[in-house]
Amino acid sequence: MPDSEARTAREEWGTRFGFLMAMLGAMVGAGNIWRLPYTTGQNGGGVFLLAYVLLLFLIAIPGLMAETMLGRYTQKGVVGSFREIVGDDLYSGLSLVVVLVNVGVMSYYAPVIGWTMYYAANSLLLTFFQSGFEAAAFWNSFTGSPVLTVGTHPVTMAAIAVVLAFGIRRGIERVVKYLIPFLIVALVAVSIRGLTLPGGMKGLAFVFTPDWSHLLRGDTWVAALGQALFSTGLGWGIALTYGSYLRKYDDVPLGGGVFTAVGNTSIGLLAIFAVFPVVFAFGLEPASGAQLTFVSLVKVFPKLLGGQAWAIVFFLGFFAATFTSGIAITEVGVTTVAEETRLSRTQSVAAVVATIWLIGLPSAYSSEFLGAMDYVFGNFGFPFATLTIILLVGWKFGPERARVIDVNRSTDLYVGRWWNGIVKYVIPVVIAFILGYGAINSIGTENQTLMMGGIALMVVLSLGSVLVMKFVSEPTPTESTSSTVQRGD
Amino acid sequence: MGSASVAIRRSLADEERKLRLVQRQGEIDTYSPKALADLRTWVEEHPADPYADEAKERHDECVETLRQLDEPFYDWSDDEIESLETFNET
Repeated sequence: MPDSEARTAREEWGTRFGFLMAMLGAMVGAGNIWRLPYTTGQNGGGVFLLAYVLLLFLIAIPGLMAETMLGRYTQKGVVGSFREIVGDDLYSGLSLVVVLVNVGVMSYYAPVIGWTMYYAANSLLLTFFQSGFEAAAFWNSFTGSPVLTVGTHPVTMAAIAVVLAFGIRRGIERVVKYLIPFLIVALVAVSIRGLTLPGGMKGLAFVFTPDWSHLLRGDTWVAALGQALFSTGLGWGIALTYGSYLRKYDDVPLGGGVFTAVGNTSIGLLAIFAVFPVVFAFGLEPASGAQLTFVSLVKVFPKLLGGQAWAIVFFLGFFAATFTSGIAITEVGVTTVAEETRLSRTQSVAAVVATIWLIGLPSAYSSEFLGAMDYVFGNFGFPFATLTIILLVGWKFGPERARVIDVNRSTDLYVGRWWNGIVKYVIPVVIAFILGYGAINSIGTENQTLMMGGIALMVVLSLGSVLVMKFVSEPTPTESTSSTVQRGD
Repeated sequence: MGSASVAIRRSLADEERKLRLVQRQGEIDTYSPKALADLRTWVEEHPADPYADEAKERHDECVETLRQLDEPFYDWSDDEIESLETFNET
Protein backbone atom coordinates (compact mmCIF):
# COMPACT_ATOMS: atom_id res chain seq x y z
CA MET A 1 0.00 0.00 0.00
CA PRO A 2 1.48 3.40 -0.91
CA ASP A 3 2.38 5.57 2.04
CA SER A 4 -0.02 8.36 1.08
CA GLU A 5 -2.90 5.91 0.88
CA ALA A 6 -2.02 4.47 4.29
CA ARG A 7 -2.14 7.93 5.83
CA THR A 8 -5.42 9.07 4.34
CA ALA A 9 -7.61 5.95 4.23
CA ARG A 10 -7.92 4.32 7.62
CA GLU A 11 -8.87 0.68 7.47
CA GLU A 12 -12.20 -0.61 8.78
CA TRP A 13 -13.49 -3.99 9.85
CA GLY A 14 -15.08 -5.73 6.88
CA THR A 15 -17.94 -7.27 8.86
CA ARG A 16 -19.53 -7.10 12.26
CA PHE A 17 -18.77 -10.78 12.78
CA GLY A 18 -15.10 -10.10 12.08
CA PHE A 19 -14.96 -7.36 14.73
CA LEU A 20 -16.77 -9.48 17.31
CA MET A 21 -14.50 -12.47 16.72
CA ALA A 22 -11.44 -10.22 16.90
CA MET A 23 -12.57 -8.81 20.26
CA LEU A 24 -13.33 -12.27 21.56
CA GLY A 25 -10.03 -13.63 20.25
CA ALA A 26 -8.18 -10.78 21.89
CA MET A 27 -9.69 -11.34 25.32
CA VAL A 28 -9.76 -15.15 25.37
CA GLY A 29 -6.31 -16.48 26.12
CA ALA A 30 -4.38 -18.97 28.18
CA GLY A 31 -5.98 -17.66 31.38
CA ASN A 32 -9.43 -18.79 30.24
CA ILE A 33 -8.20 -22.35 29.73
CA TRP A 34 -6.04 -22.89 32.82
CA ARG A 35 -6.92 -20.08 35.27
CA LEU A 36 -10.69 -19.58 35.37
CA PRO A 37 -11.55 -23.24 36.12
CA TYR A 38 -9.01 -23.39 38.94
CA THR A 39 -9.86 -19.96 40.40
CA THR A 40 -13.54 -20.90 40.37
CA GLY A 41 -12.94 -24.17 42.16
CA GLN A 42 -10.69 -22.56 44.77
CA ASN A 43 -13.02 -19.67 45.64
CA GLY A 44 -16.31 -21.27 46.48
CA GLY A 45 -17.39 -22.58 43.06
CA GLY A 46 -20.84 -21.27 42.26
CA VAL A 47 -20.42 -18.44 44.80
CA PHE A 48 -17.33 -17.21 42.98
CA LEU A 49 -19.16 -17.38 39.64
CA LEU A 50 -22.03 -15.34 41.09
CA ALA A 51 -19.62 -12.67 42.33
CA TYR A 52 -17.75 -12.77 39.05
CA VAL A 53 -20.84 -12.34 36.87
CA LEU A 54 -22.12 -9.54 39.11
CA LEU A 55 -18.82 -7.67 38.79
CA LEU A 56 -18.66 -8.42 35.10
CA PHE A 57 -21.90 -6.54 34.53
CA LEU A 58 -21.11 -3.82 37.06
CA ILE A 59 -17.56 -3.05 35.98
CA ALA A 60 -16.16 -4.90 32.97
CA ILE A 61 -19.02 -4.27 30.55
CA PRO A 62 -19.34 -0.51 31.23
CA GLY A 63 -15.53 -0.22 31.15
CA LEU A 64 -15.25 -2.00 27.81
CA MET A 65 -17.98 0.25 26.41
CA ALA A 66 -15.92 3.28 27.48
CA GLU A 67 -12.69 1.99 26.00
CA THR A 68 -14.18 0.85 22.68
CA MET A 69 -16.05 4.15 22.39
CA LEU A 70 -12.82 6.07 22.83
CA GLY A 71 -11.30 4.34 19.80
CA ARG A 72 -14.44 4.60 17.67
CA TYR A 73 -14.79 8.31 18.53
CA THR A 74 -11.21 9.36 17.87
CA GLN A 75 -10.54 6.83 15.07
CA LYS A 76 -7.01 6.66 16.44
CA GLY A 77 -4.79 4.30 18.41
CA VAL A 78 -3.80 4.74 22.05
CA VAL A 79 -1.42 7.72 21.78
CA GLY A 80 -3.56 9.51 19.18
CA SER A 81 -6.69 9.07 21.30
CA PHE A 82 -5.07 10.54 24.37
CA ARG A 83 -3.73 13.48 22.38
CA GLU A 84 -7.11 14.11 20.80
CA ILE A 85 -8.90 14.19 24.16
CA VAL A 86 -6.40 16.04 26.33
CA GLY A 87 -4.22 17.82 23.75
CA ASP A 88 -0.62 18.31 24.81
CA ASP A 89 -1.51 17.97 28.49
CA LEU A 90 1.02 16.00 30.56
CA TYR A 91 -1.65 13.32 30.92
CA SER A 92 -1.30 12.40 27.25
CA GLY A 93 2.25 11.30 28.07
CA LEU A 94 0.82 8.38 30.01
CA SER A 95 -0.57 6.98 26.76
CA LEU A 96 2.91 5.71 25.97
CA VAL A 97 2.89 3.68 29.19
CA VAL A 98 -0.20 1.82 27.96
CA VAL A 99 1.61 0.94 24.74
CA LEU A 100 4.78 -0.05 26.61
CA VAL A 101 2.78 -2.27 28.97
CA ASN A 102 1.40 -4.11 25.93
CA VAL A 103 4.88 -4.52 24.48
CA GLY A 104 6.15 -5.73 27.88
CA VAL A 105 3.29 -8.21 28.26
CA MET A 106 3.72 -9.53 24.75
CA SER A 107 7.41 -10.09 25.40
CA TYR A 108 6.55 -12.86 27.86
CA TYR A 109 3.24 -13.94 26.35
CA ALA A 110 4.90 -14.74 23.00
CA PRO A 111 6.91 -17.62 24.55
CA VAL A 112 3.65 -18.97 26.04
CA ILE A 113 2.13 -18.91 22.54
CA GLY A 114 5.29 -20.77 21.47
CA TRP A 115 4.54 -23.50 24.04
CA THR A 116 0.99 -23.95 22.73
CA MET A 117 2.27 -23.98 19.14
CA TYR A 118 4.86 -26.63 20.03
CA TYR A 119 2.23 -28.79 21.71
CA ALA A 120 -0.23 -28.30 18.86
CA ALA A 121 2.46 -29.38 16.40
CA ASN A 122 3.31 -32.42 18.51
CA SER A 123 -0.34 -33.37 18.82
CA LEU A 124 -0.49 -33.39 15.02
CA LEU A 125 2.66 -35.53 14.89
CA LEU A 126 1.01 -37.91 17.41
CA THR A 127 4.07 -37.59 19.67
CA PHE A 128 1.98 -38.08 22.82
CA PHE A 129 0.94 -41.52 21.62
CA GLN A 130 4.35 -43.01 20.92
CA SER A 131 5.34 -45.95 23.10
CA GLY A 132 7.42 -44.95 26.11
CA PHE A 133 6.25 -41.34 25.93
CA GLU A 134 6.46 -39.57 29.32
CA ALA A 135 4.44 -36.34 29.60
CA ALA A 136 6.41 -34.84 32.51
CA ALA A 137 9.78 -35.66 30.94
CA PHE A 138 8.60 -34.22 27.62
CA TRP A 139 7.51 -30.96 29.33
CA ASN A 140 10.73 -30.72 31.33
CA SER A 141 12.91 -31.39 28.32
CA PHE A 142 11.01 -28.75 26.33
CA THR A 143 11.12 -26.02 29.00
CA GLY A 144 14.69 -26.94 29.88
CA SER A 145 15.89 -26.69 26.31
CA PRO A 146 16.76 -23.13 25.27
CA VAL A 147 17.03 -24.34 21.69
CA LEU A 148 13.33 -25.22 21.72
CA THR A 149 11.94 -22.41 23.89
CA VAL A 150 14.05 -19.69 22.29
CA GLY A 151 13.59 -21.37 18.90
CA THR A 152 9.78 -21.25 18.99
CA HIS A 153 9.83 -17.57 19.99
CA PRO A 154 10.81 -16.15 16.54
CA VAL A 155 8.41 -18.59 14.84
CA THR A 156 5.57 -17.19 16.95
CA MET A 157 6.51 -13.58 16.28
CA ALA A 158 6.99 -14.25 12.56
CA ALA A 159 3.53 -15.83 12.34
CA ILE A 160 2.00 -12.82 14.10
CA ALA A 161 3.94 -10.46 11.83
CA VAL A 162 2.58 -12.16 8.73
CA VAL A 163 -1.01 -11.78 9.94
CA LEU A 164 -0.56 -8.15 11.01
CA ALA A 165 1.26 -7.18 7.81
CA PHE A 166 -1.94 -7.96 5.89
CA GLY A 167 -3.78 -5.36 7.96
CA ILE A 168 -7.08 -5.33 9.83
CA ARG A 169 -9.48 -6.74 7.29
CA ARG A 170 -7.24 -9.01 5.22
CA GLY A 171 -5.04 -10.04 8.13
CA ILE A 172 -6.61 -10.05 11.61
CA GLU A 173 -10.22 -10.41 10.53
CA ARG A 174 -9.53 -13.20 8.08
CA VAL A 175 -7.71 -15.23 10.75
CA VAL A 176 -10.04 -14.72 13.72
CA LYS A 177 -13.16 -15.49 11.67
CA TYR A 178 -11.96 -19.09 11.47
CA LEU A 179 -9.86 -19.55 14.62
CA ILE A 180 -12.44 -18.41 17.20
CA PRO A 181 -15.34 -20.54 15.91
CA PHE A 182 -12.83 -23.42 15.73
CA LEU A 183 -11.84 -22.81 19.37
CA ILE A 184 -15.49 -22.90 20.46
CA VAL A 185 -16.20 -26.09 18.52
CA ALA A 186 -13.02 -27.65 19.93
CA LEU A 187 -14.00 -26.86 23.52
CA VAL A 188 -17.55 -28.13 23.00
CA ALA A 189 -16.21 -31.38 21.50
CA VAL A 190 -13.75 -31.97 24.35
CA SER A 191 -16.48 -31.09 26.88
CA ILE A 192 -18.80 -33.71 25.47
CA ARG A 193 -16.04 -36.29 25.64
CA GLY A 194 -15.13 -35.28 29.20
CA LEU A 195 -18.69 -35.30 30.51
CA THR A 196 -19.27 -38.79 29.18
CA LEU A 197 -16.28 -40.17 31.10
CA PRO A 198 -17.00 -42.14 34.30
CA GLY A 199 -16.54 -39.68 37.17
CA GLY A 200 -16.44 -36.67 34.86
CA MET A 201 -19.42 -35.02 36.53
CA LYS A 202 -17.42 -34.77 39.77
CA GLY A 203 -15.31 -32.11 38.07
CA LEU A 204 -18.34 -29.96 37.45
CA ALA A 205 -19.49 -30.52 41.00
CA PHE A 206 -16.09 -29.28 42.26
CA VAL A 207 -16.35 -26.11 40.19
CA PHE A 208 -20.02 -25.27 40.41
CA THR A 209 -21.18 -26.44 43.83
CA PRO A 210 -21.56 -23.23 45.81
CA ASP A 211 -19.66 -23.04 49.05
CA TRP A 212 -21.57 -20.21 50.74
CA SER A 213 -18.87 -19.69 53.36
CA HIS A 214 -16.87 -17.96 50.61
CA LEU A 215 -19.55 -15.33 50.03
CA LEU A 216 -18.35 -13.01 52.80
CA ARG A 217 -14.63 -13.65 52.30
CA GLY A 218 -12.64 -10.76 50.90
CA ASP A 219 -10.44 -13.12 48.89
CA THR A 220 -13.41 -14.41 46.91
CA TRP A 221 -14.40 -10.90 45.85
CA VAL A 222 -10.85 -9.82 45.10
CA ALA A 223 -10.35 -12.92 42.94
CA ALA A 224 -13.67 -12.24 41.19
CA LEU A 225 -12.68 -8.59 40.67
CA GLY A 226 -9.34 -9.57 39.20
CA GLN A 227 -10.96 -12.12 36.90
CA ALA A 228 -13.74 -9.72 35.79
CA LEU A 229 -11.32 -6.89 35.12
CA PHE A 230 -8.32 -8.59 33.64
CA SER A 231 -9.67 -11.66 31.86
CA THR A 232 -11.83 -9.31 29.79
CA GLY A 233 -8.80 -7.25 28.78
CA LEU A 234 -10.37 -4.04 30.05
CA GLY A 235 -8.09 -1.03 29.73
CA TRP A 236 -5.19 -2.67 27.94
CA GLY A 237 -5.68 -0.50 24.86
CA ILE A 238 -6.92 -3.45 22.77
CA ALA A 239 -10.61 -2.48 22.79
CA LEU A 240 -9.56 1.11 22.05
CA THR A 241 -7.37 0.02 19.13
CA TYR A 242 -9.88 -2.44 17.66
CA GLY A 243 -12.67 0.09 18.26
CA SER A 244 -10.78 2.67 16.23
CA TYR A 245 -11.37 0.54 13.12
CA LEU A 246 -15.16 0.54 13.57
CA ARG A 247 -17.38 2.37 11.10
CA LYS A 248 -19.81 5.22 11.66
CA TYR A 249 -22.86 2.95 11.73
CA ASP A 250 -21.28 0.33 14.02
CA ASP A 251 -22.56 -0.19 17.54
CA VAL A 252 -20.25 0.01 20.56
CA PRO A 253 -22.19 -1.02 23.72
CA LEU A 254 -23.59 -4.37 22.61
CA GLY A 255 -20.59 -5.66 20.65
CA GLY A 256 -17.65 -3.93 22.34
CA GLY A 257 -19.15 -4.18 25.83
CA VAL A 258 -21.74 -6.89 26.43
CA PHE A 259 -20.72 -9.45 23.81
CA THR A 260 -16.99 -9.16 24.47
CA ALA A 261 -17.33 -9.62 28.23
CA VAL A 262 -20.07 -12.24 28.20
CA GLY A 263 -18.52 -14.13 25.26
CA ASN A 264 -15.19 -14.22 27.04
CA THR A 265 -16.87 -15.61 30.15
CA SER A 266 -18.76 -18.17 28.10
CA ILE A 267 -15.52 -19.51 26.66
CA GLY A 268 -14.09 -19.65 30.20
CA LEU A 269 -17.11 -21.72 31.24
CA LEU A 270 -16.69 -23.93 28.21
CA ALA A 271 -13.09 -24.48 29.28
CA ILE A 272 -14.37 -25.58 32.69
CA PHE A 273 -16.62 -28.10 30.98
CA ALA A 274 -13.74 -29.24 28.79
CA VAL A 275 -10.99 -29.55 31.38
CA PHE A 276 -12.49 -30.40 34.76
CA PRO A 277 -14.45 -33.57 33.91
CA VAL A 278 -11.20 -35.00 32.48
CA VAL A 279 -9.23 -33.83 35.53
CA PHE A 280 -11.59 -35.55 37.96
CA ALA A 281 -12.23 -38.62 35.84
CA PHE A 282 -8.50 -39.35 35.95
CA GLY A 283 -7.76 -38.05 39.46
CA LEU A 284 -5.48 -35.19 38.37
CA GLU A 285 -4.45 -32.24 40.54
CA PRO A 286 -6.85 -29.42 39.56
CA ALA A 287 -4.66 -26.59 40.89
CA SER A 288 -1.56 -27.17 38.84
CA GLY A 289 -1.97 -24.33 36.32
CA ALA A 290 0.23 -24.67 33.23
CA GLN A 291 1.31 -28.15 34.38
CA LEU A 292 -2.33 -29.21 34.26
CA THR A 293 -2.53 -28.46 30.56
CA PHE A 294 0.92 -29.46 29.40
CA VAL A 295 1.52 -32.49 31.61
CA SER A 296 -1.62 -33.87 33.22
CA LEU A 297 -3.93 -33.62 30.23
CA VAL A 298 -1.24 -34.95 27.91
CA LYS A 299 -1.06 -38.06 30.10
CA VAL A 300 -4.80 -38.51 29.81
CA PHE A 301 -5.32 -38.23 26.05
CA PRO A 302 -3.74 -41.64 25.24
CA LYS A 303 -6.19 -43.23 27.67
CA LEU A 304 -9.21 -41.85 25.83
CA LEU A 305 -10.90 -43.63 22.98
CA GLY A 306 -9.87 -41.66 19.89
CA GLY A 307 -7.36 -39.79 22.07
CA GLN A 308 -5.28 -38.59 19.10
CA ALA A 309 -8.22 -36.65 17.72
CA TRP A 310 -9.09 -35.12 21.12
CA ALA A 311 -5.47 -34.08 21.69
CA ILE A 312 -5.28 -32.43 18.25
CA VAL A 313 -8.58 -30.60 18.73
CA PHE A 314 -7.68 -29.45 22.26
CA PHE A 315 -4.17 -28.18 21.51
CA LEU A 316 -5.09 -26.54 18.22
CA GLY A 317 -7.92 -24.79 20.05
CA PHE A 318 -5.57 -23.78 22.84
CA PHE A 319 -3.11 -22.41 20.29
CA ALA A 320 -5.94 -20.47 18.59
CA ALA A 321 -6.84 -18.86 21.94
CA THR A 322 -3.31 -17.68 22.68
CA PHE A 323 -2.40 -16.73 19.11
CA THR A 324 -5.41 -14.43 18.61
CA SER A 325 -4.60 -12.68 21.91
CA GLY A 326 -1.01 -12.23 20.77
CA ILE A 327 -2.21 -10.66 17.54
CA ALA A 328 -4.34 -8.16 19.48
CA ILE A 329 -1.69 -7.22 22.03
CA THR A 330 0.86 -6.64 19.27
CA GLU A 331 -1.62 -4.63 17.18
CA VAL A 332 -1.84 -2.01 19.96
CA GLY A 333 1.82 -1.15 19.31
CA VAL A 334 1.57 -1.51 15.54
CA THR A 335 -1.39 0.89 15.20
CA THR A 336 0.38 3.42 17.43
CA VAL A 337 3.71 3.25 15.60
CA ALA A 338 2.03 3.43 12.19
CA GLU A 339 0.12 6.54 13.27
CA GLU A 340 2.76 8.33 15.25
CA THR A 341 5.79 7.82 13.00
CA ARG A 342 6.48 8.02 9.31
CA LEU A 343 6.77 4.23 9.05
CA SER A 344 4.31 2.37 6.83
CA ARG A 345 2.16 -0.36 8.35
CA THR A 346 4.50 -3.08 7.15
CA GLN A 347 7.50 -1.26 8.58
CA SER A 348 5.62 -0.68 11.84
CA VAL A 349 4.80 -4.38 12.09
CA ALA A 350 8.47 -5.21 11.53
CA ALA A 351 9.62 -2.68 14.12
CA VAL A 352 7.16 -3.71 16.84
CA VAL A 353 7.56 -7.45 16.25
CA ALA A 354 11.37 -7.18 16.24
CA THR A 355 11.28 -5.20 19.50
CA ILE A 356 9.00 -7.74 21.17
CA TRP A 357 11.13 -10.61 19.90
CA LEU A 358 14.28 -9.01 21.29
CA ILE A 359 12.97 -8.14 24.74
CA GLY A 360 11.14 -11.47 24.88
CA LEU A 361 14.34 -13.49 24.63
CA PRO A 362 14.95 -13.61 28.41
CA SER A 363 11.39 -14.88 29.00
CA ALA A 364 11.79 -17.45 26.24
CA TYR A 365 15.04 -18.58 27.80
CA SER A 366 14.00 -18.68 31.46
CA SER A 367 10.58 -19.60 32.83
CA GLU A 368 11.58 -17.95 36.15
CA PHE A 369 12.11 -14.66 34.34
CA LEU A 370 8.79 -15.17 32.54
CA GLY A 371 7.07 -15.70 35.89
CA ALA A 372 8.60 -12.52 37.31
CA MET A 373 7.47 -10.51 34.27
CA ASP A 374 3.98 -11.98 34.60
CA TYR A 375 3.86 -10.96 38.25
CA VAL A 376 5.04 -7.41 37.60
CA PHE A 377 2.87 -6.70 34.57
CA GLY A 378 -0.14 -8.67 35.78
CA ASN A 379 -0.23 -6.99 39.17
CA PHE A 380 0.96 -3.50 38.31
CA GLY A 381 1.26 -2.98 34.54
CA PHE A 382 -2.28 -3.92 33.53
CA PRO A 383 -4.06 -2.21 36.44
CA PHE A 384 -2.04 0.94 35.78
CA ALA A 385 -2.90 0.88 32.05
CA THR A 386 -6.57 0.27 32.84
CA LEU A 387 -6.62 3.12 35.34
CA THR A 388 -4.99 5.45 32.80
CA ILE A 389 -7.56 4.71 30.08
CA ILE A 390 -10.59 4.76 32.36
CA LEU A 391 -9.53 8.07 33.94
CA LEU A 392 -9.21 9.50 30.43
CA VAL A 393 -12.89 8.75 29.75
CA GLY A 394 -14.17 9.34 33.28
CA TRP A 395 -12.30 12.51 34.18
CA LYS A 396 -10.86 14.04 30.99
CA PHE A 397 -13.45 13.38 28.29
CA GLY A 398 -16.33 13.19 30.76
CA PRO A 399 -18.74 10.25 30.85
CA GLU A 400 -21.97 12.17 30.16
CA ARG A 401 -20.38 13.93 27.21
CA ALA A 402 -19.05 10.60 25.91
CA ARG A 403 -22.40 8.89 26.47
CA VAL A 404 -24.58 11.37 24.63
CA ILE A 405 -22.18 12.15 21.78
CA ASP A 406 -20.74 8.76 20.95
CA VAL A 407 -21.68 5.77 23.13
CA ASN A 408 -25.33 5.97 22.08
CA ARG A 409 -24.55 6.79 18.46
CA SER A 410 -25.65 3.95 16.13
CA THR A 411 -26.04 1.79 19.21
CA ASP A 412 -27.92 -1.50 19.39
CA LEU A 413 -28.34 -1.01 23.13
CA TYR A 414 -29.23 2.32 24.76
CA VAL A 415 -26.93 3.23 27.64
CA GLY A 416 -28.47 5.31 30.42
CA ARG A 417 -26.99 7.73 32.94
CA TRP A 418 -26.14 4.90 35.34
CA TRP A 419 -23.05 4.37 33.17
CA ASN A 420 -21.54 7.74 34.13
CA GLY A 421 -21.01 7.00 37.82
CA ILE A 422 -19.54 3.58 37.11
CA VAL A 423 -16.96 4.96 34.67
CA LYS A 424 -16.13 8.01 36.73
CA TYR A 425 -16.01 6.57 40.24
CA VAL A 426 -16.57 2.83 40.59
CA ILE A 427 -13.99 1.47 38.13
CA PRO A 428 -11.14 3.80 39.18
CA VAL A 429 -11.75 3.05 42.87
CA VAL A 430 -11.85 -0.69 42.22
CA ILE A 431 -8.61 -0.63 40.21
CA ALA A 432 -6.86 1.52 42.80
CA PHE A 433 -8.05 -0.95 45.44
CA ILE A 434 -6.68 -3.92 43.47
CA LEU A 435 -3.34 -2.17 42.98
CA GLY A 436 -3.10 -1.38 46.69
CA TYR A 437 -4.35 -4.80 47.79
CA GLY A 438 -1.78 -6.57 45.59
CA ALA A 439 1.03 -4.40 46.94
CA ILE A 440 0.06 -4.75 50.61
CA ASN A 441 -0.53 -8.49 50.33
CA SER A 442 2.95 -9.07 48.95
CA ILE A 443 4.68 -7.37 51.89
CA GLY A 444 6.67 -9.92 53.84
CA THR A 445 6.32 -12.57 51.14
CA GLU A 446 8.75 -13.82 48.52
CA ASN A 447 7.10 -11.41 46.06
CA GLN A 448 7.94 -8.27 48.05
CA THR A 449 11.00 -7.45 45.93
CA LEU A 450 9.06 -8.02 42.74
CA MET A 451 6.27 -5.77 44.04
CA MET A 452 8.71 -2.97 44.75
CA GLY A 453 10.34 -3.53 41.37
CA GLY A 454 6.93 -3.45 39.68
CA ILE A 455 5.96 -0.17 41.31
CA ALA A 456 9.36 1.32 40.53
CA LEU A 457 9.05 0.18 36.90
CA MET A 458 5.65 1.83 36.53
CA VAL A 459 6.96 5.07 38.04
CA VAL A 460 9.99 5.08 35.74
CA LEU A 461 7.88 4.23 32.68
CA SER A 462 5.40 6.98 33.55
CA LEU A 463 8.02 9.66 34.05
CA GLY A 464 9.94 8.54 30.98
CA SER A 465 6.79 8.44 28.84
CA VAL A 466 5.67 11.89 29.93
CA LEU A 467 9.11 13.30 29.13
CA VAL A 468 9.36 11.53 25.78
CA MET A 469 5.86 12.54 24.73
CA LYS A 470 6.50 16.13 25.75
CA PHE A 471 9.42 16.43 23.36
CA VAL A 472 8.54 14.16 20.45
CA SER A 473 4.77 14.14 20.13
CA GLU A 474 4.34 16.83 17.48
CA PRO A 475 2.03 15.24 14.89
CA THR A 476 3.08 15.33 11.26
CA PRO A 477 1.00 17.59 8.98
CA THR A 478 -0.32 14.58 7.01
CA GLU A 479 -1.60 12.93 10.19
CA SER A 480 -3.43 16.05 11.25
CA THR A 481 -5.11 16.32 7.88
CA SER A 482 -6.24 12.73 7.88
CA SER A 483 -7.50 12.81 11.46
CA THR A 484 -9.70 15.83 10.85
CA VAL A 485 -11.38 14.13 7.95
CA GLN A 486 -11.77 10.72 9.50
CA ARG A 487 -13.45 11.00 12.89
CA GLY A 488 -16.35 8.74 12.29
CA ASP A 489 -18.08 11.26 10.10
CA MET B 1 -23.45 -18.83 27.22
CA GLY B 2 -27.07 -18.05 26.40
CA SER B 3 -26.41 -14.33 26.89
CA ALA B 4 -23.47 -14.41 24.50
CA SER B 5 -25.58 -16.16 21.86
CA VAL B 6 -28.37 -13.61 22.26
CA ALA B 7 -25.88 -10.72 22.07
CA ILE B 8 -24.19 -11.97 18.89
CA ARG B 9 -27.48 -12.83 17.19
CA ARG B 10 -28.88 -9.38 17.96
CA SER B 11 -25.65 -7.66 16.92
CA LEU B 12 -25.44 -9.48 13.59
CA ALA B 13 -29.15 -9.01 12.87
CA ASP B 14 -28.88 -5.27 13.53
CA GLU B 15 -25.83 -5.02 11.29
CA GLU B 16 -27.62 -6.83 8.50
CA ARG B 17 -30.59 -4.47 8.78
CA LYS B 18 -28.32 -1.41 8.90
CA LEU B 19 -26.46 -2.60 5.78
CA ARG B 20 -29.72 -3.27 3.94
CA LEU B 21 -31.04 0.18 4.81
CA VAL B 22 -27.77 1.92 3.90
CA GLN B 23 -27.64 0.11 0.55
CA ARG B 24 -31.25 1.05 -0.21
CA GLN B 25 -31.33 4.61 1.15
CA GLY B 26 -27.70 5.71 1.12
CA GLU B 27 -27.70 6.51 4.85
CA ILE B 28 -29.49 5.75 8.11
CA ASP B 29 -30.39 7.58 11.31
CA THR B 30 -27.61 7.49 13.89
CA TYR B 31 -29.50 8.11 17.15
CA SER B 32 -32.61 6.56 18.69
CA PRO B 33 -35.39 8.92 19.91
CA LYS B 34 -34.13 8.64 23.49
CA ALA B 35 -30.46 9.11 22.53
CA LEU B 36 -31.21 12.11 20.30
CA ALA B 37 -33.25 13.71 23.09
CA ASP B 38 -30.31 13.18 25.47
CA LEU B 39 -27.96 14.78 22.95
CA ARG B 40 -30.20 17.80 22.50
CA THR B 41 -30.67 18.27 26.23
CA TRP B 42 -26.93 18.07 26.79
CA VAL B 43 -26.20 20.69 24.12
CA GLU B 44 -28.85 23.01 25.59
CA GLU B 45 -27.38 22.61 29.07
CA HIS B 46 -23.76 23.03 27.89
CA PRO B 47 -23.80 25.59 25.10
CA ALA B 48 -20.23 26.73 25.81
CA ASP B 49 -18.74 23.24 26.03
CA PRO B 50 -15.84 22.67 23.62
CA TYR B 51 -17.69 19.64 22.24
CA ALA B 52 -21.01 21.48 21.81
CA ASP B 53 -20.45 22.28 18.12
CA GLU B 54 -19.66 18.69 17.31
CA ALA B 55 -22.69 17.51 19.29
CA LYS B 56 -24.91 19.99 17.41
CA GLU B 57 -23.51 18.80 14.09
CA ARG B 58 -24.23 15.16 14.96
CA HIS B 59 -27.71 16.07 16.19
CA ASP B 60 -28.59 18.06 13.10
CA GLU B 61 -27.17 15.47 10.75
CA CYS B 62 -29.41 12.85 12.34
CA VAL B 63 -32.48 15.11 12.12
CA GLU B 64 -31.86 15.91 8.46
CA THR B 65 -31.25 12.26 7.66
CA LEU B 66 -34.47 11.25 9.37
CA ARG B 67 -36.44 13.71 7.25
CA GLN B 68 -35.14 12.12 4.06
CA LEU B 69 -35.52 8.47 4.98
CA ASP B 70 -38.34 6.16 4.01
CA GLU B 71 -37.48 3.71 6.74
CA PRO B 72 -35.45 4.72 9.82
CA PHE B 73 -33.33 2.17 11.64
CA TYR B 74 -34.58 3.17 15.06
CA ASP B 75 -38.19 3.17 16.16
CA TRP B 76 -39.19 6.68 15.04
CA SER B 77 -42.83 7.59 14.39
CA ASP B 78 -43.73 10.11 11.67
CA ASP B 79 -45.00 12.49 14.34
CA GLU B 80 -41.74 12.31 16.25
CA ILE B 81 -39.73 13.04 13.11
CA GLU B 82 -41.98 15.96 12.21
CA SER B 83 -41.53 17.50 15.62
CA LEU B 84 -37.72 17.46 15.39
CA GLU B 85 -35.82 20.67 14.82
CA THR B 86 -32.19 21.24 13.99
CA PHE B 87 -30.30 23.73 16.13
CA ASN B 88 -30.27 26.17 13.20
CA GLU B 89 -34.04 26.11 13.13
CA THR B 90 -34.55 26.86 16.82
